[in-house]
Amino acid sequence: MDTKVRYFELTMWPHMRAAYNLARWLVRNDQDAEDIVQESFLKAYKAQESFRGSEAKTWMLTIVRNTAMDFLRRYKAGMAVPLGDQGHEPQDHSADPERGLLEESRREQVRRAISHLEAEFREVIVLREIEGLSYKEIASVLHIPMGTVMSRLSRARNQLLVELGGAKEVQHDVP
Amino acid sequence: MTCREAGPLLHARLDNELDMAGAASIDMHLSECRACAAHYAALEDLHQEIASADLAYAPGALLERKLASQFLEEKKSPSRLWRGSWLYPSALAAAAIAVVLLISTPFLRMGGDTDAIGAEILDNHLRSLQPMHQVDVPSSDQHTVKPWFQGKIDFSPPVPDLTQEDFILIGGRLEVIRRQPAAAIVYRRRQHVVSLYVSPSIGADSATELHEMGGYHLLHWMQGNMSYWAVSDVDATDLRTFAELIRRR
Repeated sequence: MDTKVRYFELTMWPHMRAAYNLARWLVRNDQDAEDIVQESFLKAYKAQESFRGSEAKTWMLTIVRNTAMDFLRRYKAGMAVPLGDQGHEPQDHSADPERGLLEESRREQVRRAISHLEAEFREVIVLREIEGLSYKEIASVLHIPMGTVMSRLSRARNQLLVELGGAKEVQHDVP
Repeated sequence: MTCREAGPLLHARLDNELDMAGAASIDMHLSECRACAAHYAALEDLHQEIASADLAYAPGALLERKLASQFLEEKKSPSRLWRGSWLYPSALAAAAIAVVLLISTPFLRMGGDTDAIGAEILDNHLRSLQPMHQVDVPSSDQHTVKPWFQGKIDFSPPVPDLTQEDFILIGGRLEVIRRQPAAAIVYRRRQHVVSLYVSPSIGADSATELHEMGGYHLLHWMQGNMSYWAVSDVDATDLRTFAELIRRR
């Protein structure tokens, strides 16, 4: 039996869904996300000898994230078009707020709010809230210190609260 | 603690990332500051709302199939007989039967209860090599894997760190072998997977006993009223080394 294939299947394949989810959130459309997952799997497959016992999911997501970021940089440089929601993403209802509020489910509001975050805030929300990674794992995927994970999550969630209307300006008592 | 200091730490508190002392000092602040307490409640609601919205995107079946054909279908026999079948849920049962037939026929010829258990162990090991089945608790950290079994089974399987000896811990899972709960501890040596099955069984300690089956090696021994099975396609010497390392713990 081909042990390389089998080992890949054993360690990396279980994280395919997480890989797709992260890619999809980062590039915000289906086709590009699929390309990125394929490219990432190829990279992971070729580099698997260098993978030694650390967490497979973190390793896989690091590759996906780097591949997606490279893609976004290329896209920005080549197309000079600001990234926005594409494909099946709900459109921005700001032109017709009443209709939007009435017809859009709360779930879609949450999805849209996360989708509108800057990439560096979006990715911490996706990794923490949707993939359930610990700060240590997020720090490893994003190559940032754990303190930065915490402060980015803090800013990301505060933005989400504002966008989702649950935000009240925090009035701080004098300590 | 000031509100400014508490700000980002509220998130670490929410995410269970603080130690007990850190959590206690945040809780203290929350009990004293209504603004921060309200903010924390809003954060909890948001966290709950995102979780219940189930926002993960699932890959399309086409992508899954494309990746599978690219990365999973280069296998050689014996898996050739049933490779790819797992992609199609309707074929799962057929695949399982194929595995059972493939594996158990030679065991039947060998006869004996130990062999039957060995067949079941190998069957289980092979099934675990399929995607999504290998471990319930994926971790290379023995201090994560060992406690995971607590409360799930009434015995404590050995989960030694054998990194020095080039057996890398992948994780653990719960199994049922012969209608008995068993702990399966999964290691990797180079790119071979080694599964160790442990379950309580009354009997005298015994030396290791080697079984060989279709390119796989199984080592069985009894120790301290526990039954041990190690199974892998590493060569017999490597598997014996592994068994000795486990026996010495």
